[in-house]
Amino acid sequence: MNGPQMEDQLNLYGQSFSSRLLLGTARYDSPSLLADAISAADPAMLTVSLRRQTSGTKDSGQSFWNLLRESQRAILPNTAGCFSAREAVKTACMARELFETNFVKLEVIGDELNLQPDPFGLVEAAVELVKLGFYVLPYCTEDWILCRRLIDAGCMVLMPWAAPIGTGQGPRNPRALQELRERAPQFTLIVDAGIGVPSHACQVMEWGFDGVLLNTAVSRALDPVRMASAFAAAIRGGRNAFLAGPMSVQEIAVASTSQIGRPFTFDLPSH
Amino acid sequence: MFVVVNGKTCNLPELRTLDALLQFLSPAGPFAVARNEEVIPRGTYEECVISTGDRIDIVHPTAGG
Repeated sequence: MNGPQMEDQLNLYGQSFSSRLLLGTARYDSPSLLADAISAADPAMLTVSLRRQTSGTKDSGQSFWNLLRESQRAILPNTAGCFSAREAVKTACMARELFETNFVKLEVIGDELNLQPDPFGLVEAAVELVKLGFYVLPYCTEDWILCRRLIDAGCMVLMPWAAPIGTGQGPRNPRALQELRERAPQFTLIVDAGIGVPSHACQVMEWGFDGVLLNTAVSRALDPVRMASAFAAAIRGGRNAFLAGPMSVQEIAVASTSQIGRPFTFDLPSH
Repeated sequence: MFVVVNGKTCNLPELRTLDALLQFLSPAGPFAVARNEEVIPRGTYEECVISTGDRIDIVHPTAGG
């Protein structure tokens, strides 16, 4: 790794990561496919969850736990499925005990149909979790007031959606996402949910977002391992483009090739 | 004694502590436990007294997005 790449790290609550991709572990057809996708994506973190043991299952998460440990990736437990702040805080506390990390992807869902975050419950839970010493990564919308309230609560990282979870629609509200980036330049912003293809991820990285969190776009691809690799390349490409500073868009055409010295032309005699 | 384990009421022999309960249930690891919705840190199971009617949640790692 050369110098500039060493310096350009994703910072999450003081911890640095060379990758800007966070990868979900759900909906893979097999554990081996997940392991191969992790290798291909080279993610900074893996999102995980917790559940009661299903009756009749013998494994109880042991093989999944082993896979996580072997991957040697940082773990980001979520509070998926929580519909209230109280439930999310309790789940986060259980996750901290189970996974031995202060990081938490905070989800407080407000609508069963589109799994939209509940902004009121989200802020309430974030306030409590920050007090309890958690490093909170809230799954939120791009609404500026909500994001400001989360920042006020002590969140150093925000994770606005591109579109509803699992839809693969890509950024639904590009202008608002870009405005959020402009208004919160000192905070880490990771686009979470709704990304479908690598160009979506590349686009938000070009806008200056710090990272992308993916799950379904990789796990439900026909070839998840190849798609994981494609996303990793797209995120790196988008980041490099942002750092390189894109040209400004022009209203009219600007010739790339000089007009001077063009053959088969002649100067009109002056009178 | 009656204890609610993962949402199901169980009729169990008299067990004084959470440690005894976990030895009786022998859930496969790794896991975390809450009693009456309060997380019980591992290492304190022997000190955690359980009573009839307590609600015990035992959770395991699972895939998530």
